[in-house]
Amino acid sequence: MNAIEIRNLTKNFGPKQALSGLDMTVPQGAIYGFIGENGSGKSTTEKIICGLIHPSSGSVKLFGKDYTDIDVRANMGVLIEAPGCFPNYSVWNNMMLQAANLRIKDAEREVVKALKTVRMEGAASNKYKNCSLGMKQRVGIAMALLGNPTLLVLDEPINGLDADGMRIIREVLVDITKNYGSTVVVSSHVLAELEKVATHYGIIKGGKMICEMTASELDSSCRTYSALKSNDMPLTKSVLLKKYSRIEEDESGYIRVYDSVPTEEIVVYLYENGITINEIKTDKISLEEYYIDLMKGGKANG
Amino acid sequence: MEKTCELNFEEPSFFKRIKSMLGVDFYRLFHTPLFYIFLAIAAIIPAIILGTSTMEGSEGIGYTSAWNIIAASKPLYVIESIGDYANMNMVFIFGGIMVSIFIGSDYRSGYVKQLFTTHAKKQDYMISKTITCAFSMACMCITYLLGGVVGGLFAGDSVSFALNGGEIFALVCAIIGKMIMSIGWAALYTFINVILRKFFGISIALSFFFGTGILIIGVAGVFDSLHIPNVLLNAFLYGSSVFACLDSGVFPLLAVLICLVVSVAWTVIYIVLGTTILSKSDVY
Repeated sequence: MNAIEIRNLTKNFGPKQALSGLDMTVPQGAIYGFIGENGSGKSTTEKIICGLIHPSSGSVKLFGKDYTDIDVRANMGVLIEAPGCFPNYSVWNNMMLQAANLRIKDAEREVVKALKTVRMEGAASNKYKNCSLGMKQRVGIAMALLGNPTLLVLDEPINGLDADGMRIIREVLVDITKNYGSTVVVSSHVLAELEKVATHYGIIKGGKMICEMTASELDSSCRTYSALKSNDMPLTKSVLLKKYSRIEEDESGYIRVYDSVPTEEIVVYLYENGITINEIKTDKISLEEYYIDLMKGGKANG
Repeated sequence: MEKTCELNFEEPSFFKRIKSMLGVDFYRLFHTPLFYIFLAIAAIIPAIILGTSTMEGSEGIGYTSAWNIIAASKPLYVIESIGDYANMNMVFIFGGIMVSIFIGSDYRSGYVKQLFTTHAKKQDYMISKTITCAFSMACMCITYLLGGVVGGLFAGDSVSFALNGGEIFALVCAIIGKMIMSIGWAALYTFINVILRKFFGISIALSFFFGTGILIIGVAGVFDSLHIPNVLLNAFLYGSSVFACLDSGVFPLLAVLICLVVSVAWTVIYIVLGTTILSKSDVY
């Protein structure tokens, strides 16, 4: 049974179509990286999953049940946009109110545990309105973690977080999926961070899912390339272009050869053309590069 | 990765859901300065009206008894003077504003996001808010009563507290009737604020408008000129609130019963309407 199964989901806001036939499958226990440009429909999809907005058509099932079933939603942890906290209440009081909403037994212990997880136990008495952006985000995550949710939906959770905050979130996500079997849907624009934890990916564009894959599928489909530097880069590039079709210069000043050829062959070819290579390595494109390529309409995979 | 685990989902009962939501709402009510400010306003207004209206040089507002600041002598649907209007029904105006601010903060803070992604049902929200806000208005009725008594004492002999046995019973019934009406008014304000949740300014203005009873007062004027019995207006919240007075023309307990029936009927209507609208529209 999948944690989330969405079929042919549409959502219109007046004349504007935010989602147009979106399909999405999130297996149980996955950390699902939900990626897309601003306005692509990520937040709309997440809000529908959380029951905050209604779809225009299509079906949304959570653990095999309709998304409106409150018994399923009672086991969800959510951080959509900003945390829903009362600004004049302390962090502690806001957490306790949510614990009461969730009918958590031994609420104090659970709140302390959640605040400790996000390293916010020292700021529990702070008024929420006096917290920094990063602290507010941590409170939101702590709130979402209350009651060990079966399904965690996090919309841009690492926005405003420092490096330590990002590391904590990574640890939390791995911990909650490994130890509690929870499922996590996390959207983020910080793809380098997402790449470190996600087990599955869904890429959305214009309200449609254009690609869903596991991390290993992404890994195998990501292009490998040879990157090299020489003493005469313009000449090297023009020589390479005579033989290979997919040549690019990256931001670090390397020339990348995406054609599936052994590195040795490139070295020999350039040597025969009188070019001395200073440096050569093989690598794979990152999730970010894969995503950008996909958004540009490229195949992304070699 | 295909990791699965045994999942058991339990639907919390209505009682459990409403208990937790009421707990949060009452906690919020008792921890917001807004509640105490409105309790104070409800006490100060009648004290000022009664105290200053009988001061030397001021014009009287036509009260025959100090208790008229609590309930009018007769069901005065048509207003001819401030004395006809200024009684405990004003609590429903203060209440309208308070409810708008109270519910508005749920939406402005994003708290509803946290709420509706849990087990909370829209119906629970309507019921919980109605009960909490009705309680706050009932409390305002009490502070209003205290303020009225203090104002009457300041007024001294110019307005008397004197009532005979039957009138005392009618006064108590009128106060109970108005407190019962708090439930219907709270349901109305909750409904207004839920449907206009994205327009805080309009919802507060509309709550104030309904609280003043201008609509019913206007209809009463028309009824009066057409010689239609005003008693028909008792089917509405403001009408019944007016009917809870010192001499309604019926046995006082019957007036309380009318208040109860009307208040409960409108509460059910507004909760059902509010739940339906909330369920069919986007929360946030």
